[in-house]
Amino acid sequence: MSPELLEIVVWIVKVHVIFLGMVGVAAITTLAERKVSAWMQYRHGPNRVGPQGLLQPLADGVKFIFKESLVPDGANKWMFRFAPALAAAPAMLTVAVIPFGPDVTLFGITTPFSIVDLDIGLMYILAIGGLSVYGVIVGGWASNSKYSLLGGLRASAQMVSYELSMILAILSVVAISGSLDLREVVMQQKTLGEWNILYQPLAFLLFLIAAFAETNRHPFDFAECEPELVSGFHTEYSAMRFALFALGEYCAMIVMSSVAVALWFGGFSVPFLPEAHWALGIVAFCAKVSCFLFLFLWVRWTLPRFRFDQLMNLGWKVMLPIALVNLFITGAVISFAPQLKSLWNGLVNGAS
Amino acid sequence: MVIVRRKELSLRERLYLPEIARGLSITFRKLFEKPITRQYPEEPLPKDEVTRGQPRLVVKDDGNIACVSCGMCEIACPAYAITIDGGETDRPIEREPKKFEIDMLRCILCGFCEEACPKDAIFMSDELELADYSRAALIYDLEKLKRPKSALQKRIDYVYRLNNRWRKSSSTS
Ligand code: SF4
Ligand code: SF4
Repeated sequence: MSPELLEIVVWIVKVHVIFLGMVGVAAITTLAERKVSAWMQYRHGPNRVGPQGLLQPLADGVKFIFKESLVPDGANKWMFRFAPALAAAPAMLTVAVIPFGPDVTLFGITTPFSIVDLDIGLMYILAIGGLSVYGVIVGGWASNSKYSLLGGLRASAQMVSYELSMILAILSVVAISGSLDLREVVMQQKTLGEWNILYQPLAFLLFLIAAFAETNRHPFDFAECEPELVSGFHTEYSAMRFALFALGEYCAMIVMSSVAVALWFGGFSVPFLPEAHWALGIVAFCAKVSCFLFLFLWVRWTLPRFRFDQLMNLGWKVMLPIALVNLFITGAVISFAPQLKSLWNGLVNGAS
Repeated sequence: MVIVRRKELSLRERLYLPEIARGLSITFRKLFEKPITRQYPEEPLPKDEVTRGQPRLVVKDDGNIACVSCGMCEIACPAYAITIDGGETDRPIEREPKKFEIDMLRCILCGFCEEACPKDAIFMSDELELADYSRAALIYDLEKLKRPKSALQKRIDYVYRLNNRWRKSSSTS
């Protein structure tokens, strides 16, 4: 086989493994969501399909596929059909640049375990990820229902407010690692002491809060807000179209968790074992991402929803200034590092 | 006029995060607690003699039902669930029902039939489950209502106990 052909085959295999893996994990997360919520409320959760209810996502999938997919009479038919895909696709596209593991060696072929390694991977994630809100807005608008429209509008306002703080938080990390390439950022955090969480805890906190808002999760799920908007932007959706919205949400959760792990928690590096086998690296990455996914569920079943004005206040009056100051201090420390060092040395020497 | 006093939030509370952590720790602890939901078909409902299930007719030890088709229960029934067609028999009691039907969809499990019966012929059993595919199938006839006395013995004893207490208190007054 010629090297070019081999490369294409490897690439196709990687796309399938990573993409199907992600959809699988998204399905499992839906089950985990129901199980975790049940356990937190002294219930059992789904336990009828398969052992301990493990096949529940499969049953849900079959049901979603076979149910009738209604299109309301007054809806804009094409937009209505298009919106779920528009909501789910960006999350699935962003997964392409996530570095799930170090260089993998199988059958004598060595390849990095991510679909592509973009130099501007973070830019790509932010740019494409930001598009997912269009699916929500278009879906809300095309449904021709007041609740859906309000849900879509809220989603857009929320997205604009929180994307800013999120980008600023990510920039702080980019500033200290000097790269937009996720793999590069991960490579710089080989040992526990190098994890960015130690240097940028505030940025992590900001990112985490913004990530909850970006993925439309509790306590910021204003786009669906059941008590006020029935079900928000997907009120009129049913069957597989509805499932696509959910799939998009869960994929976005996985991507956000992966970004957080890669930027702050050393990505696929194994604590205390800097030279670990690649398989261990992938396991470490998955374990870290699972912790974050659990956090998403955990928060959802703990906190009540914010009020919309509180959300906006938090976004513009608290998060944005803190993110700006954090970035400013980071930049100042980096650019004046030599002077600070000499000043410190001078102080230490003077004292001694 | 109602004056709602809002609690002044401390700095710690206004920071949200410590309070959120507190909430999270509570829900995390609940994760490991035993569910209190009953897994219904596998874990049946608790029953004892106080359980007022569906009414059933007593079949005495000699194989005959105790009912004399007096119609008291039919009259007592607030839901008009009971339909009795009286008939004659050669036994000393002379009468027994030719037809005795309880429409289980109408029965409200009030127990009035049990109270009204002068012959201790109808009692509330502990049977609670009621499901079928047609309405007609839920109109129970004699054959479906008959239960051996032993199956209802606990309830019968209980009712006797109740009634005795009532008798005592009324005789003293
Ligand atoms: S329990 Fe009440 S409603 Fe049911 S048959 Fe007896 S008297 Fe009628
Ligand atoms: S009250 Fe008792 S004896 Fe009279 S008809 Fe009803 S079940 Fe039979």
